[in-house]
Amino acid sequence: MRARGLFILVIAAAAAAGFGMPHLLPGYLVNILTEALIFGLFAMSLDLMIGYTRLESFGHAAAYGLGAYASALLLLSFDIPMLIVIPMAAIITGVVAMPIAWVCTRSTGISFAMLTLAFAQLFYASVYQFKDFSGGSDGIAGIARRAGPFGIDFFQTKIGYFYLVLIILILSFLFCRSLVASPFGQVLAGIRENEVKTRTLGYNTRAYRMVIVVLAYAFGGLAGALYAPLAGFASPELFFWRMSGMVLIMVIIGGRGTLVGPILGGAVFLFLEHELSALPMVRELWPLIFGSIFIAVILFAPQGLWGLFRSWREKRRIGVVSKPQSDAPHAAS
Amino acid sequence: MPLLECRGLTRNFGALVAVDAVDLTVEPGEIRAVIGPNGAGKSTFFNLINGMLRPTAGSVLFDGKDITGLAAHRIARHGISRTFQLTHLMPDLTARENVRLAALASSPGRWRIVGGADILERAGEAADRAMERLRLAPFASMKANELSHGDQRLLEVAMALAQNARLLLLDEPTQGLSIEETERAVQILREMLNGEDLTVMLVEHDMEVVFKLADRITVLHRGQVIADGEPEEVRQNAEVQNAYLGGFD
Ligand SMILES: Nc1ncnc2c1ncn2[C@@H]1O[C@H](COP(=O)(O)OP(=O)(O)OP(=O)(O)O)[C@@H](O)[C@H]1O
Ligand SMILES: [Mg+2]
Repeated sequence: MRARGLFILVIAAAAAAGFGMPHLLPGYLVNILTEALIFGLFAMSLDLMIGYTRLESFGHAAAYGLGAYASALLLLSFDIPMLIVIPMAAIITGVVAMPIAWVCTRSTGISFAMLTLAFAQLFYASVYQFKDFSGGSDGIAGIARRAGPFGIDFFQTKIGYFYLVLIILILSFLFCRSLVASPFGQVLAGIRENEVKTRTLGYNTRAYRMVIVVLAYAFGGLAGALYAPLAGFASPELFFWRMSGMVLIMVIIGGRGTLVGPILGGAVFLFLEHELSALPMVRELWPLIFGSIFIAVILFAPQGLWGLFRSWREKRRIGVVSKPQSDAPHAAS
Repeated sequence: MPLLECRGLTRNFGALVAVDAVDLTVEPGEIRAVIGPNGAGKSTFFNLINGMLRPTAGSVLFDGKDITGLAAHRIARHGISRTFQLTHLMPDLTARENVRLAALASSPGRWRIVGGADILERAGEAADRAMERLRLAPFASMKANELSHGDQRLLEVAMALAQNARLLLLDEPTQGLSIEETERAVQILREMLNGEDLTVMLVEHDMEVVFKLADRITVLHRGQVIADGEPEEVRQNAEVQNAYLGGFD
């Protein structure tokens, strides 16, 4: 319950920042902020697997790429409004993820990670293989943010699109937060902590793992589906292992198992990368800086930056509460 | 009708016959101890009953239904719960969350993906009752891995109890406890067994514990049943004396 106040504060702050800021910023910066939020959503989707179920995926780019290509192809091939295409692409990603989930959840640990990576690379290779359909190495360009339904055209503008992404991010966050606290979420926690025990309690743990993989891909697909109309193109790089690695690192730096941490981690680091690597001095150094931060987090804050912040708050709270208790005379002594 | 009936239950590991044609029945309400020296096949026998392992031969009937070879989670849902010889908990969850997860397993709401606070609330109440029985209520909000070893052993029993199973399999609930801790645990287990109409199979090394808790004893030796009966009969059985109880009394 005590976490609720903070979450509301964060959302309020994000919303206030979001709703005020874009109007004051140049257009290119609005686009970068939008992309940062999309990446935050992408990282949050991976957190469902890594942080809440201990299913380490090295291939989450598959979800991003699938969502992006699905929305690109739908927008270019059919006369469907963007606001409908985006959820459709997320659902398509979830459906494609079903057989992937079925195969990958046959194993756990490192083989699970390798299988997810293999599927992502399979899609990457397929993009080159089926050029007519996917545009091959050129990708798909000229994706337009189509208006509608009901003639809604606000979201076509840069600022409008920013708001659309912000709203979708907040709704997704609220959904996932409810999910991890639900009975289903408790079973995921059991699987994360001790799968054998959870199974002997009577849970079909593999079914739970399959469902969370599908949901994580669907939300990752949602992020990808938002990316394509923002960038105006979809390229094979979206499926590449570098993408999977990036998002994995964001989740770990932000703080796995917190939802908020990966959102902030994903958004802040994407933004920083964009901004800092534009400076000639820093461009060369950026991978070094980034790598050092990653190492520092793993060594000194294995729960990630948000985890660190949370335990600091926890300590302060306990410190305040337990002080009078320890002063009280002990009945036993 | 017996609650549990094993017929010719056998499990090989390569050339080793860990459980060898075991016939055994447990009546409802019985507290059955399974004893035997190290490596006798007691834990393997439990693994065969609860579906962690598939038998090489033989069958398991539970409440008249053939459950041989079903997946472990299905057998749990039929009403068999178990604890492990080496403590199996969710270390980073609180004690109460551990037991609540066990109680939730029998709720149809366990698949609720969003919301479901009321379902968890009800499971939490069942968890509180089970923890009360094992005197764990004071530790409810501690993380499972912060409990003492003795309380962790009892926490796993509380989980088995909260599953609302019809048969509890307890694999050495006092394993690794000091003499004082064992005494306390036995006291608590005895209260639990007296207070409810439970059917329990109990693996135990400590003969004192066995004679305090069990109505009936089955002795396993090299995978085979070498004796089966009331505690007093078993104590007097010559074969058992040789195989196992050499140093007893
Ligand atoms: N998974 C396995 N693979 C191979 N051999 C096994 C396996 N599990 C048990 N065994 C062997 O089967 C025999 C019976 O083991 P089990 O653990 O059932 O004995 P136990 O009666 O529970 O012993 P303890 O009192 O030490 O717990 C032992 O020889 C053991 O080494
Ligand atoms: Mg054993």
